[in-house]
Amino acid sequence: MVYKKFSLLAVLLVAALVLAACPQPTPIVQTVTEEVVVTPTPVPPMQGGVWVEGSSTDATILNPILASDSPSFDVLSWFFPSLLGQDPFSGAIVPTDMAESWEVSEDGLVWTFHLRDGVMWSDGEQVTADDFKFTYDAIASDLVETPRKSNLANIESIEILDPLTIQVTYSEVQCDALNNLGLGWLPSHLYAEDFSDVMDSPLNEAPTSSAGEFIFNEWMRDDNITVLRNDTYWKGSPNMDGWIYKVVPDPGARLAQLQTGELDLIGVQPEQLTTVQLDPNLNLYKFKDDGYSYIGLNQANPENPQAGQDDDGNLVEQDPHPILSDLAVRRAIAHALDYDTIISKVYLGQGYQIAANVLPAVEWAHDPSLQPYEFDTEQAAQILEDAGWTDSDEDGVRECNGCTTAEEGAPLTLRLQTNAGNTTREDLGVLAKDQLDSIGFNIQFEAIEFGTLVGELLGQTFDMVIIGWTGLGTDPNDDSFWHSKFDTPGSGFNFVSYQNPRIDELLEQAVSVPGCAPAERAPFYQEIQQIIHEDIPYVFVTGSVGNIGYSKKFNGVDPGPWIFYHNIESWSLAP
Amino acid sequence: MTRYVVRRLLQAIPTLLGVSVISFALVYNSPGDPILIRTFDPNITQETREILRRQLGLDQHWSLQYIGWLTGITVRRGDVAEEFTRPETQCSFVAGLHTTFCDNGAGILRGDLGTSIATKQAVWDRLVERMPATFELGISALLVSLLLGVPLGVLSAVYQGSIFDNLVRVMAVIGNALPAFWFGLMLIFIFGVVLGWLPTGGRQTVSLTNEFDLGDRLRHLILPTMILAFGGIAGISRFMRTETLEVIRTDYIRTAKAKGIAASRVWFIHALRNALIPLMTILGPAILGVLSGAVITETIFSWPGMGRMTFSAAIQRDYPTVLGAVMFFALLTILGNVLSDILYGVVDPRVRLS
Repeated sequence: MVYKKFSLLAVLLVAALVLAACPQPTPIVQTVTEEVVVTPTPVPPMQGGVWVEGSSTDATILNPILASDSPSFDVLSWFFPSLLGQDPFSGAIVPTDMAESWEVSEDGLVWTFHLRDGVMWSDGEQVTADDFKFTYDAIASDLVETPRKSNLANIESIEILDPLTIQVTYSEVQCDALNNLGLGWLPSHLYAEDFSDVMDSPLNEAPTSSAGEFIFNEWMRDDNITVLRNDTYWKGSPNMDGWIYKVVPDPGARLAQLQTGELDLIGVQPEQLTTVQLDPNLNLYKFKDDGYSYIGLNQANPENPQAGQDDDGNLVEQDPHPILSDLAVRRAIAHALDYDTIISKVYLGQGYQIAANVLPAVEWAHDPSLQPYEFDTEQAAQILEDAGWTDSDEDGVRECNGCTTAEEGAPLTLRLQTNAGNTTREDLGVLAKDQLDSIGFNIQFEAIEFGTLVGELLGQTFDMVIIGWTGLGTDPNDDSFWHSKFDTPGSGFNFVSYQNPRIDELLEQAVSVPGCAPAERAPFYQEIQQIIHEDIPYVFVTGSVGNIGYSKKFNGVDPGPWIFYHNIESWSLAP
Repeated sequence: MTRYVVRRLLQAIPTLLGVSVISFALVYNSPGDPILIRTFDPNITQETREILRRQLGLDQHWSLQYIGWLTGITVRRGDVAEEFTRPETQCSFVAGLHTTFCDNGAGILRGDLGTSIATKQAVWDRLVERMPATFELGISALLVSLLLGVPLGVLSAVYQGSIFDNLVRVMAVIGNALPAFWFGLMLIFIFGVVLGWLPTGGRQTVSLTNEFDLGDRLRHLILPTMILAFGGIAGISRFMRTETLEVIRTDYIRTAKAKGIAASRVWFIHALRNALIPLMTILGPAILGVLSGAVITETIFSWPGMGRMTFSAAIQRDYPTVLGAVMFFALLTILGNVLSDILYGVVDPRVRLS
């Protein structure tokens, strides 16, 4: 009897565990075009209320030139003014922040910015050109340990013409250079002139002076950061009392807190979409994000990583990868993956197929005529046959029998790596292995810890890697992925060792077009996309789709794909 | 006794030194790079990375970095005194050795655990910040484990083979087998989302004022304490059952029973006292476990404790924070073991400390 009871309990327990381990049923997510209901703001708008955003990780430091993680920027963007604003819907650089207008010299090298008058720090000081100059000089200082020193590249001088006019002189035309001027400004009146206190200022933890929507209130590390509305904000004081950044590391717990109303906004994971969609108290905002996922194919021999250029800038011939330097193999891989299934089953519908490196969101530079590679296993197998990769010993794995890049008899064995813990990428790895093995590859898939993967990646010691880019921004310049000068083992982002002199040339021309008119830059980028599509240094898997679940507590919420909170000062509590 | 304690503490010094060398070597030679993780961004140039690496001293061999971490004194070839002089760092160039010596006034030998790479805070401040949360959760979990585990264990022994004993045994198996990340989420879903009785996570209800409210704090403690105590109850009840069974069969208990003393008095006064002695040996490590935090429970319940901080520092390759935490936990482990030994001598006079 006792045993019976026990076994019944065991069965129940096992059943519970199995249920927990089962993947969630795939939600049938149709592409929902979000209906943004812009309710006319009642007069007067209701005051009060608090908005709580959930985040997986805490901020690290609330200083715009020392921070390098997105949680820190989520919070500090409330406090620090910036030279340039961004259109929340198109992402274009617009004069909505400190610069009211600007003009460019004819040669495109001298930029003069006219600042907004009357913008005050919450301690009563005015925000002026001094703050801008102080911030960029601090970045240059030896005393300041910052990853932002690259933002100064190419800037010859920064001059203050008067307290509200700044002149920035570049040493050469660089069409995406404006992006480097977007950092938040430090309140220079609160720091030592020689930058000696930038690193250990108490303001890094408690930035008490604000020129933005909110003023810093309190930071309980790993728990929450609270900010209060800034009554002197130049666009008008927000109606809400404050905003809270709450750290909830577990995604399941974040969803639970969104449902109970403890959180008002979270990034929604694909498997959580149905829950959010079915909840009458929640809205879902879906948008095309500025990123993509891909499988990077190392063109060079991972046992002998070499720089792409020598000290004089001449191309260095790479020791080719024994398998992946064969274009036929890369084409076979591109045709062997079932992108529809991957997007629907692995990304749960949260993605869209792309053909090359410029996303459709960058409309003027995107080449819509390019078609993504089609899923066609027969064609993939035929390409391998024709290229001399055949399975002569019939063990299911092809060998080199007359191929051009490897030794005779070498098997078609490749490592495929990704970062452990990212379940989407792990699932993609398993599926990709399955599909590639079915046409005669022998893929050894492993998921390793992110820090270790980054080392292998930049060290160029991998064969194939599943990873992605996020935050690509609005400019199509991505020379750091393709230009041979960025093929530097241990550090450069052209870690697939892609080498193509024509691409180098096009990338250089595209960012140095005098005047930087999109129409004149576009042809360069279209040719780049065509070549990248043909050469397949990456197998493009999917463009990223972002999902934000948020409460209906406030009226006036009008999210843009680039900035969710762009009009937060006009939000008001729903009656 | 005093001599014993002093000797044990003196023995701790080489142990700590050994721990520091081994952990430093392991941490610095493991794959991954704190600079790359922080600058995995195509817009950041290699030059910037090299400057940052040099400023942080991460370009040096790990043994030199170890000396710097230990003593606060860094050594570099050539005359770089000007480059590395900071408000708190004094550098001087010794021409005879062609070497620059810098003293930043820190170093673990001077009681300074260093500065976090990620947050630029003093590592000790980071640990102190999280101690209240860690202790609060850990101590309540330990108390619950003891208060429930000990009587359950004694009763299981007394009613050996009964339904009660089997039930406790099955609960102990389940308690040990259920993974906290699953069970925690289930409790959150049931008590937080469906029933709405308890908060789903955090240490208090977050508000703009964050005022202290004892009732609110206690409500937030219930679920994570349950999860953390579940394993403890299981372990302690099994342990107590075994010990009590041994004691219960001894002559003095039989005598007590024969004298007609009430059964509950025999079990909980006479038997328990002797059965508790071996518990002291696991109490030291248990207290240590409490103080070092619980990564999974802290993560599921958004609890701002030391375990979570150390774990994320390791992922972030924030070397100073990881090492600071390791040294702190090493010290606690040594103290916990000494305490355990002393307690053993106190509760059991037969044991002589020598």
